[in-house]
Amino acid sequence: MKITYFQQVPYRHLPPDFEQHHEAAVTTPYHPLTRPDLVHRAFGDALGEIMHAARSGFDAVAVTEHGQSSYDMAPNPDLLMAAAAHATEVEGLATGIYPMGRSLGKSREPLRVAEELAMLDAISGGRLIAGFPVGLAYDANINNGVVPAETRLRFDENLELVLKAWQARENFAWNGRFHQYPLVNLWPRPLQEPHPPVFVTGIGNPRTMEFCLRRGFGFNYFGWFGARVTGRRVFDRFWDAARRLGKDENPYRMGFMQTICVADTDAKAEKLYAEHAEYFFRKAIGSIPMQRLALPGGIDIKGLEFLFRDPGDFGIYEKMRQASFADLVEAGSVICGSPATVRDRITGFARDFRIGNLHAMLQFGSMPTELARDNISLFAEQVMPALRGVWADQDWPHHWWPQRLGGTPGPAAEDTGTTHAKAVHAR
Amino acid sequence: MTTTDTTTTTEPGERLVETWNGEVTLRVRVAGSGPPLVYLHAAGGLVWDPFLARLAEDWTVYAPEFPGTTPGDPYAVHAIDGVWDAVLIYEQALRALGLSDVPLIGQSFGGMLAAELAAAYPAMFSRLVLLDPVGLWLDDAPVSNWVAAAPPELVAMLFHDPSGEAARKLLELPEDPGERAAAQAAMVWNLGATAKLCWPVPDRGLHRRLHRVTAPTLIVWGEQDTLIPPLYAEEFRRRIADSRVAIVPGAGHVPQMEQTAETLRVVRGFLT
Repeated sequence: MKITYFQQVPYRHLPPDFEQHHEAAVTTPYHPLTRPDLVHRAFGDALGEIMHAARSGFDAVAVTEHGQSSYDMAPNPDLLMAAAAHATEVEGLATGIYPMGRSLGKSREPLRVAEELAMLDAISGGRLIAGFPVGLAYDANINNGVVPAETRLRFDENLELVLKAWQARENFAWNGRFHQYPLVNLWPRPLQEPHPPVFVTGIGNPRTMEFCLRRGFGFNYFGWFGARVTGRRVFDRFWDAARRLGKDENPYRMGFMQTICVADTDAKAEKLYAEHAEYFFRKAIGSIPMQRLALPGGIDIKGLEFLFRDPGDFGIYEKMRQASFADLVEAGSVICGSPATVRDRITGFARDFRIGNLHAMLQFGSMPTELARDNISLFAEQVMPALRGVWADQDWPHHWWPQRLGGTPGPAAEDTGTTHAKAVHAR
Repeated sequence: MTTTDTTTTTEPGERLVETWNGEVTLRVRVAGSGPPLVYLHAAGGLVWDPFLARLAEDWTVYAPEFPGTTPGDPYAVHAIDGVWDAVLIYEQALRALGLSDVPLIGQSFGGMLAAELAAAYPAMFSRLVLLDPVGLWLDDAPVSNWVAAAPPELVAMLFHDPSGEAARKLLELPEDPGERAAAQAAMVWNLGATAKLCWPVPDRGLHRRLHRVTAPTLIVWGEQDTLIPPLYAEEFRRRIADSRVAIVPGAGHVPQMEQTAETLRVVRGFLT
């Protein structure tokens, strides 16, 4: 299994009663809640933790994109990834650079996304892994004014443009529904051939899963809603789709983000991390109201019917704002304990759900940077070695990882970009 | 064009009008007897409410459904890129139905569409009635963001009395879980479909086009409309040459549902 260190840039000093008065995104008042020195420190801490993880031997470091939010002050992950790409290059660290990533349903400048990522691949010498979420409603629609009914269509068009811009040998003009460019000719192009590995993040929509499988992209799923509640549903849905489409069960197709904390003993872990886990889930994810996560038009009508009949994919989201540490552990939103406890839990579900890429979120919420570094170190020393071997007994090639870091280029997509591009351009 | 039914009972009939080079089939609900009248529905989709039933006593009401809001045809919305497409599709459909020099009524989102149509094709409409229309924007009194509102907030935006009979009726859901889920999904989907023409800011340049409206125009506003404050009524009046305002007391954003009798009175008075 490949192990990624997953980082956000939270403001770590929100008041204890934050969730009673505020949302975590869009409307959160900035000035009354923040101090400039602590904002400054949030970035230093996050970049320091990323580098600590890279030095501790993680296979990649990952950052997400969220605008106008108190829980992740990273409106463009490429900025942090650029710093990490250069620093790891200078130190000779063979770490994947994994913006997870640029939201393509949100972006109104898709060519800039293609260029920035090509730069990252060039800076890192071919270590880029590109994540493309469709985009959360509040971020794509409210923060960037994209009409919700267009989010998915824009994602589709933008992804085709990025892939074509990366790979084209000749200059071309782009006449899309949402974007027109008279001449596309990126400098630089990515170093990786045919292009850097691509993952798409989904929340359980079968259409996104099938899209990834057909096109040969990796699929990322985030476990904040509690994978003990949602995992059976979502992962089985993915592998059922794979079987239906005649795709192999290569576990490296699947990436999974899990919030994790480790200490010498289970009791000590709870003592050290419980307050920070509660801070994160209550003040961050739990404080994003449903009308920000989903806007009319953003979810397909069939998906809406499914969600109204059966909201199970949202796991414990509804009660997250009041969740206790015990609730979070019970749901699997956080895995916490001694190295042996954490190892067993992760190994168990990784095999069960066929997860080939684990994205470990080891700093969250108010966790101070010293504790985050301890968490990273202990995880790297006593959990990671065992996880690395999860799929060692099976001979799957990793097609979704940079060649320079041991990946195998491929696989051939069932649909080429042209077929899909036709759909994108169809009126 | 296919005519499936045109009855005069309370349950409206329908006519299916093929437009947009065969890409969009507009379903037009038709009911009543008498001279024709066109009604354009609000953002949530067409609701055949008592206001329309009463109008159908004196007029033949033609009510097209915005592409994407017709049950069973949700993806028609993807054929529309913007206001101009919608205006052309509606003009084509009304022309196919032989409707010209007719009164046009539009509510909220439908009010914006009605104003756009009357500005684009001034000769098509004999009279124009705008019921709490969207379409303009004032920085000092922004239109509420109904698309991003939580359900209770939305109800409070729509009704002067959110716990009243009108609100209860509009939000009534079927008992059967499957039908209930489908109804909820349709409600959300319709808001998303219509948002394509009016979100995040419901001003796609109508203020530059309103001067083209020549039809005598009645602007009706719920006095307690918190979704679009009543001062917008004056904004519309100022921009449409032959226009007047009627304020309906005791009503929020949907006066035809909350104060049906009074709304009917002013609309009838204007049309006859």
